[in-house]
Amino acid sequence: MADERLHVPPALRARIAADLRPVAPLRSPFTRTLVIVPIALALLVAAAVVFGLRRDASRIGIGLTWGASVAQMLLGLTLVVAALRESVPGTTLARRTVGVFLGTTLVAVLALTIATWTHSPTRVAAGWTTYVWSICLTGTIVSALPALAVAGWLSARAFPLRPRVAGALYGVGAGLMADAGWRLFCHFSDPVHVLGSHTAGIALVAILGLVFAGLIGRR
Amino acid sequence: MDDGELRQLIALMTAYQAGSIQAFDELYAALAPALLAYLISLTRARSHAQDLLQETFLQLHKSRRAYRAGLPVRPWIFAIARHVWLMDRRRRSRRPQAEHELPDLPVPPDVAVLGDRERLRLAMTAVLPDRREALLLHHLWGFTFAEIGQLLGIRADAAKLRSSRGMADLRRLLTEDNRG
Repeated sequence: MADERLHVPPALRARIAADLRPVAPLRSPFTRTLVIVPIALALLVAAAVVFGLRRDASRIGIGLTWGASVAQMLLGLTLVVAALRESVPGTTLARRTVGVFLGTTLVAVLALTIATWTHSPTRVAAGWTTYVWSICLTGTIVSALPALAVAGWLSARAFPLRPRVAGALYGVGAGLMADAGWRLFCHFSDPVHVLGSHTAGIALVAILGLVFAGLIGRR
Repeated sequence: MDDGELRQLIALMTAYQAGSIQAFDELYAALAPALLAYLISLTRARSHAQDLLQETFLQLHKSRRAYRAGLPVRPWIFAIARHVWLMDRRRRSRRPQAEHELPDLPVPPDVAVLGDRERLRLAMTAVLPDRREALLLHHLWGFTFAEIGQLLGIRADAAKLRSSRGMADLRRLLTEDNRG
């Protein structure tokens, strides 16, 4: 039914020919995510190195400090891999798969919050709530920005057809990587504080990713 | 599509990435007919689908770096075509449109024997758009359900369900028409 379309229309061919130059094909989403690994590792150790490890670290043990933070960082990197896969036409993720990724993140964050609180219940002292809340919220968001920017650049180069879906995924990933380090420094395990500042910070970075991806689109 | 065609498209795409205009010509020749039929099934207007076909190849050109050697080419470019159609539909929804023409929709070969051209065309038009899309992608253009899932952003089993329901609808419409 379309035999007459077998030859390229001259106007289209002229436009293509005028702009035709060799391009280097993109590598796999996994390989491209390796660019972010140094940032993720820096985020993991930065807060603990600069400000010191949380005071209750010996009580909650290495599993719930470094172990959980490394797992959180790896989950963040996995979400970036998913976002970069989503960014390639023809390999978009099913809505349910996106839901599974985001649901897994939520469950992991809640489980870690409850486990830490169970092992070491520490509350913010009265009068300091707003100050500590603002430090942890701002710290999570600001420290996530480098990973967010690099992931956004990697995604935009891959021609995402649903940039906001990709943005939300790498936004959550960047937020998780930032909080993986930030939680090693924060002394407070009170779920109200953790969910209201750390988890809210991750959610806000996800929203930033969504908006950022919508703005930069495809490059 | 057999392995030979699959490998040929991959080789053409790789040559196109390396800057070969001849590879682009051959890609166009290989892909344009199916893409045009796909766009007609989405837009239900041949002349409009032809415009979108040109836009699809321009987007293919812009995004050629994003193609990874070894991946099947057709799901990649069909996804771009679908995106071009969605963006166009979004733009057009903001202004009033003329009535669509009844297009010459493609028909899968395994149901082509069930009726004459005009009845098949009417029956295809009556199938729900999302079912028709999955049906055509699988039965006419040979996409696997996993590829359709990745193209439409749904799971493979959901793609299979849409296609089989579309086929059942088509058979029912044609059977009812034969009885009537």
